Amino acid sequence: MATWEIWLFRLVFVAFVGWFLAQMATRYTLFMAAKDNLSLEDLPARVGRFVREVVFQSKVIAAKPLVGLGHLAVFWGFVAFGLYTMVEFLHGLGIVDLTEARLFHYYKLLLVPFALAVLVGITGLAIRRGILRPKALGDHVSKESILIAFFIMTLMLTFLWTLRGLPHGLERANWWVHMVVLLTFMGLIPNSKHLHLVLSPLTVFLKSPVLANLPNLDFEKEEVGLEAVKDLPRKQVLDAFTCVECGRCQENCPAFGTGKPLNPKRVILQNEQALLGGKADQKLVELYDEGILWQCTTCGACENQCPVGIEHLPVIIGARRGLVSNGEAADYLGPVYNNLERRGNIWGLLYDQREKFVKSAGLEVFDAAKHEYLVWLGCAGAFEADFQKSLRALFDILRSKGVTFGVLAKERCTGDIAKRSGNEYMFQELATQNIEEFKNAKATKIITSCPHCLKTIGLDYQAFGFHADVVHSSVLVARLLADTPAQSAGETVTFHDPCYLGRYATHDEEPRALLARVGATVIEPVRNRQNPFCCGAGGGLLFEEHEPGKRISQERFEQLQATGAGKIVMACPFCSIMLKGAQASANAPVEMVDLMTYVDGKLKARSPGSPGARADVM
Amino acid sequence: MILVIAEQRDGKLNRASWEPIIAAQQTGDPVKVVVLGQGIGPVAAELATAAVTEVITVEDATLASYTADACVHALVAVIAAEQPSLVFASHTYQARDFATKLAARLDRAIVTDAVASKPHGSGLAFARPMFQAKLYADVVLQGPEPHFVSYQVGSFRVDALQKGTAPAPVRAMAVDMSGLAIRQKPEAPFREAKQAVDLTQAERIVSVGRGIKTPENIDIARQLAEAMHAELSASRPICDAGWLPFERQVGSSGQTVAPKLYLALGISGAIQHVVGMKGARTIVAINKDADAPIFEIADYGIAGDLFEIAPAMIEALKG
Repeated sequence: MATWEIWLFRLVFVAFVGWFLAQMATRYTLFMAAKDNLSLEDLPARVGRFVREVVFQSKVIAAKPLVGLGHLAVFWGFVAFGLYTMVEFLHGLGIVDLTEARLFHYYKLLLVPFALAVLVGITGLAIRRGILRPKALGDHVSKESILIAFFIMTLMLTFLWTLRGLPHGLERANWWVHMVVLLTFMGLIPNSKHLHLVLSPLTVFLKSPVLANLPNLDFEKEEVGLEAVKDLPRKQVLDAFTCVECGRCQENCPAFGTGKPLNPKRVILQNEQALLGGKADQKLVELYDEGILWQCTTCGACENQCPVGIEHLPVIIGARRGLVSNGEAADYLGPVYNNLERRGNIWGLLYDQREKFVKSAGLEVFDAAKHEYLVWLGCAGAFEADFQKSLRALFDILRSKGVTFGVLAKERCTGDIAKRSGNEYMFQELATQNIEEFKNAKATKIITSCPHCLKTIGLDYQAFGFHADVVHSSVLVARLLADTPAQSAGETVTFHDPCYLGRYATHDEEPRALLARVGATVIEPVRNRQNPFCCGAGGGLLFEEHEPGKRISQERFEQLQATGAGKIVMACPFCSIMLKGAQASANAPVEMVDLMTYVDGKLKARSPGSPGARADVM
Repeated sequence: MILVIAEQRDGKLNRASWEPIIAAQQTGDPVKVVVLGQGIGPVAAELATAAVTEVITVEDATLASYTADACVHALVAVIAAEQPSLVFASHTYQARDFATKLAARLDRAIVTDAVASKPHGSGLAFARPMFQAKLYADVVLQGPEPHFVSYQVGSFRVDALQKGTAPAPVRAMAVDMSGLAIRQKPEAPFREAKQAVDLTQAERIVSVGRGIKTPENIDIARQLAEAMHAELSASRPICDAGWLPFERQVGSSGQTVAPKLYLALGISGAIQHVVGMKGARTIVAINKDADAPIFEIADYGIAGDLFEIAPAMIEALKG
């Protein structure tokens, strides 16, 4: 390269890198100004996720294999070209010229298939974005994305061109086009969704291994949750800059999917705009569209589907905390909080009803010397006649398998609704009281039939130093029946995975194993296993009065009905309430049954003489 | 003599005020009623239809909108002039505000939220619910008179009111309200129940559930409600299906009601419905399914076909 050319390139290089860094500095300042909430806890899980989601792009590919593979090709192309780009820069800046090395030549040949793959991939993605235009990508075509796609094509073509011996003039022109396009691309990165190129490996690595990670508020430090834009902590600031606007969160959101204003993607993008717009003092509730904070069922689909490691729930629930701390909870939560405060349960009922059930079901008070398991009844188990049938079925199965168990003399709500709806103070009150009871009873193994209790006692209580072996009834019973001979295929049913069982606890296999064991063939509904469609009850929305748009429960019920199965099997008291309500509204002739009730019924039908077999007394 | 404090707002009598008047009438003592406000002639005339000794009005611009300070100031003057032995009020939101303040100002005893009284020695003992009405305490008030009592709304049937043969005399009492520093600033009133239909105030409710089968059949429930002089309500599936407006939904995501009589027609009794009506004094359930959870909480239950039973009830009530 001529000296003037080197100096010209140095000038261009400094200008573009300066442009890039200036834009990054704005973001870095915002990031550093935010409260530090970054954690490297559970490193193996983080490394595992990094390998799956960054290196192998599992979340990009999972739901959309073709698009995902196109993206994988581009991603791997970028990685493969890293060294090539470096060598060319070293050369251009006049530092060292390795371009003539034999090894470099072989490396270039090795890059050819990558370049072709990138070309195919990016062309496909550009056609999808520019011509097919799926809804999740927004209602207007991003001109910048099309420009970037064009840049990437140019980079690949200019590279491929170097492989043919070009006359010197053309060769230099080709080199300059390649380098300037690359530098322009870099300059465009920070202020576009392409910043995910730089940040997403970080966000994925920093994403909590636990879905909906909401560390307890420390009231001693006067923490009140997220009130204004400036309260967004570092990970959430990073998330805002990382969003690639793919719309997977929006597509999977049950609220958005039923015509409600809540759109998790919009929430993240509004955070980004507010941060960059210098609106540090703007209240989050005013930043977002009206009412959306109370439309989230906390099903976790958005966060779980995000390919770039964004955590939506800490923002939504964090902002709820900020509102509740200021006495601005949604109207429908007032009576629920009142019930929790005065009666310790979400219904506001007196615990003599629970005692009646405990007595009639022949339950003993847990005694660590006598019982292996403590069965947690929960708000539904204690009061809801329908769910009590499910528990009676569970008790019969446990007894028939010789499992010893007892219940606490006194229970309060675990605090699930309080935690999810942002009433942190009430959650901590309930949690500490329950943990006290567990500790006094010396309970270490706990069974619950409620997936929400499972998450709360099993995971959230760990923040108080309470680590018990908490198991959902479906998981334990699947284990207990593992050596029972499977019944021959009988009827077909469909199974509705509860969000807090399938998605949060990733127990999607056990309920199906149980159903198979008693001879049921499962017809899968759309949205199943670890990405189910919510019933609409979570996050306190069980008590919501008016849903804008279609009822989530109605939508899910129709999805389940569309399988054509005559029976819908459920495994969560909240799902049961919501879906049965939807069934009643639709007046649809389909049978709805709880998993434990169903399994126990099948077992008894097989061996009618067994000790557990008896008519269910209500 | 018993002095009853009646409540009005914008010239409309609070119908809960009839109840302490009935309570006072039932003691056999002479009863006077006082009502505060501005431009309350019609209210006083309405109160004067009851069999009472007289109705006292205190009118002043400071009493036009309720404030605790002005109300207590005026009542202190009325009590000083009339020297009652007992002062009754209905345990309304307003009474919660002023009654205790008034008793404290005069340093006299008060029992709040009473539901009944019975003779005790030469005086009365007042029954008061405790522990969410699991127990009732008989409270005997001590110390110098007057004693103050506020009665729970709904403790007395309004039709038990003794009407006078002729209207009772109405007397305006002048109370010097000048120079009074009122520390509260009344704002425009708001209704807690935002629904157009306020089921929470209903004495009787006929509620329909999925057992009604078709929207046309709602009419049976409506006729029954009319025959019973009851409000019509429903469980969530009925409102979700649009058979009745959402304002009529009872349950955890609708209104919470506590009528004297709740008739559940074809309601299974799912918990989210039960929590909205468990406070009803008497629950009657009609359901085909004898195992329905509604029968767990019903005081009276009929396991049968509502399409047979409801028309028969309408017939009986009309006849």
